[in-house]
Amino acid sequence: MKLSNKKVIYLICSLLTMVLILSGCWDIKDINHRLLPVSIGVKKVDDQYLVILNIPEPIDGSMETKIVSAKAETVSKAVDTISRNMESDVYLLHVKLIFIEKETAEDGINDIIAGFMRSRDVSPKALVAICDEDLQEFFNNIKINAEKKGLSTYNYFEKNAGWNPDIALTRVWEVFRGIHSYTHDVAIPLIRSGKDTTMDQIGSAILKRGKMVEQISSNETLLYNVFKGESGNGKMEVMEHATVMLLGSKTDNIGRLVNNDAHMESLIKVRVVILETKGEPSLNLIKEEINTLISERYNKLFTKLQENEADVFGMGQFFRNQIPRDELKNWRSDYFKNMKININVKIDIQNEGYLKTT
Amino acid sequence: MEQIVLDIKKALGGNDDFFIKRDYLLKKEVLLLGLSTLVDMTKTKTILQKQSEGLISQGKTSESIFILMGELFEDDTKKAITSVLEGKLIIYIEHTKKFIIYEPVPKGLNRSIEVPSNESVIQGPSNSFTEDIDTNIGLLRKQLTSNKLLVHSFTTGKNQKTKISLLFINGLVDKELVENINSLIEKNKSMDISNLQSMSKMLGFSSWDTVSKFNTTELPFHASQFLKKGRVVILVDQLPFALILPNLLWDMFIVESDRNFPFPIMITISCLRVIGALIALISPGMYVALVAVNPEALQIELALSVAQSREGVPYPALVEVIIMLVVLELILEASIRLPKSVGPTITMVGGIILGQAVVEAKLVSNLLIIILAATTIANSTLVGAQSSLSIRSFKYINVILSSLFGVLGLVVGLVFISSYLASLTTFGKSYLYLNIGRKEQ
Repeated sequence: MKLSNKKVIYLICSLLTMVLILSGCWDIKDINHRLLPVSIGVKKVDDQYLVILNIPEPIDGSMETKIVSAKAETVSKAVDTISRNMESDVYLLHVKLIFIEKETAEDGINDIIAGFMRSRDVSPKALVAICDEDLQEFFNNIKINAEKKGLSTYNYFEKNAGWNPDIALTRVWEVFRGIHSYTHDVAIPLIRSGKDTTMDQIGSAILKRGKMVEQISSNETLLYNVFKGESGNGKMEVMEHATVMLLGSKTDNIGRLVNNDAHMESLIKVRVVILETKGEPSLNLIKEEINTLISERYNKLFTKLQENEADVFGMGQFFRNQIPRDELKNWRSDYFKNMKININVKIDIQNEGYLKTT
Repeated sequence: MEQIVLDIKKALGGNDDFFIKRDYLLKKEVLLLGLSTLVDMTKTKTILQKQSEGLISQGKTSESIFILMGELFEDDTKKAITSVLEGKLIIYIEHTKKFIIYEPVPKGLNRSIEVPSNESVIQGPSNSFTEDIDTNIGLLRKQLTSNKLLVHSFTTGKNQKTKISLLFINGLVDKELVENINSLIEKNKSMDISNLQSMSKMLGFSSWDTVSKFNTTELPFHASQFLKKGRVVILVDQLPFALILPNLLWDMFIVESDRNFPFPIMITISCLRVIGALIALISPGMYVALVAVNPEALQIELALSVAQSREGVPYPALVEVIIMLVVLELILEASIRLPKSVGPTITMVGGIILGQAVVEAKLVSNLLIIILAATTIANSTLVGAQSSLSIRSFKYINVILSSLFGVLGLVVGLVFISSYLASLTTFGKSYLYLNIGRKEQ
């Protein structure tokens, strides 16, 4: 089709007008007219949600923290109320952390998480944490402690900043998956405000289908992270004869169904460095010690999880191809609870220190 | 006076520098016709006398001597007028209706060969083309001593006679390309050529192309290298640069004199230019997209510091960027226009405006100044004045699309630009070809 020059000009003009009219670019707000909260706290009070926003505000080169809150029937309504009362619009796009109060979590957070997933205001990559004290107080303490460092709550969980391998990292989408999956639950960091530090981590909460059912310690969270394949790098383990540092770990799992009973064979490969010794233990003794330490901890943790029927390790994933779908929905109660777990730890001592170099 | 002389006088007599002088040559009465501004008469006469005496002493007849001295024409007024305008001397032999076009000593109207003024060479031959087409062809012949280098010359123009030369290496060049160009020049011989626009009209290119069909260079060395790659070089009299046809995308990133460096360094420098083109195209649009439409794509720390730097800026990001880009273009344009002695003033004043004052006055954010500086510097890495101008104008498409659709708009803009570049062809050779030359046999 050959268009005449006049037609081409008409076409270009109409396309340009369409671009201008249809783009809706007048709704765009520049970055300095948006409020960008880093964390959001949600608490259920009776039938209403109390929403608290932590908004870092750069003022004269330093970062101030602003805490604002509102109460409404839904989370988005509460955010809207805050937005109305503030001088700029609140955009939740940069929210990196969602704090939920413990009591609320024990009641179940299905609606809150589903709401976040549905509205897409908050990135599904935002982390979820559970707050082990009154939310209002927690945020006030953050404000006092984090003065001039508005991003400290965010940096606490950031892998290239303040994160430690014994803090669980669980994102909104993972919690959402945990609510709906037959075979996967999640552990969420349990946080309270610290005396000197901004936040203290006291362990992790086990969420089963969106409800908090149990609490595990930091050491157990480390196992959770190691099992998940998050780096355990830099974590110290103190034993009777030696102190070692974890360099890395790898897990191989084989799940088998024997007579309708689930059997799990786990091989955990750990790479360590010896830091300190007491006396002169042989390498085998140290290996033996690490082995008992890790397998004992794992076994304890598994017993705890099996009691609660919460599969935070996602063991059920290894049986998905062996159990029919209509039975899979009873995975937690029928199979996981009675699962036999055999844990083998393989230890590789990579470095004994620099004692032999002379 | 005879009819033919009267005709010439009628055509050129209105000029005060036109002369008709009576003289004697080989005992014959002759009329010398020419333009005193183009012909150095004193020297020419001496040479003329010496030459004729030398020939007489060899015992030649005057008839054959005239033929030896120059081209002999009979009754061709038009040819005579053209030759006079080209700076030739007409020797008219009275009572014979015959005239000779004699090559006189020309007045020194050409500058000498200098180093290039618009292209700089770090290491490599640095002779540059001058206005005189014959000098230019000579320079090329010196660069490229080969019996395969062919020169086709044309004289074009109705009101303004201009010499055009087409140079190519036989065997390396695509024959069809040369034939096409040859026939188009022949066809449009009556057009007046004085600039690239009229040249591209002559070769039948659309005048709405944003990317120039010609790659230009001031350096005979570069031109000769392009010839070796199978390109065609067109030289136009009074234009001190060579036009290389066709212009290809990679000419923007690769300079021949880079081959004087080790290979890995040459590759690195070329990569730098590619990055430069991308930064020049993307960064202003990226700023608008990230600040106005998609701040969620920024890291939170960056988002906060950008927000702080924009605090108090009264207008939207698009207006901010456009204002500063226009100021920048004005500075670039002004520094071309100004004489060299005043040039530094502009640099200083522009530096003050762009550097500090505008930020302190809270008219733009200081991040934008960084973006602008990066854009301008990146744009200057590109090779060739023509190509870098196209890139300079393309970035506005990205800025506007980004302000409407954010990062998506930026990507769409890049796709648009890429497809536009892909749609360009010169005599059937796509702009995106890496090389068009044939393999050397």
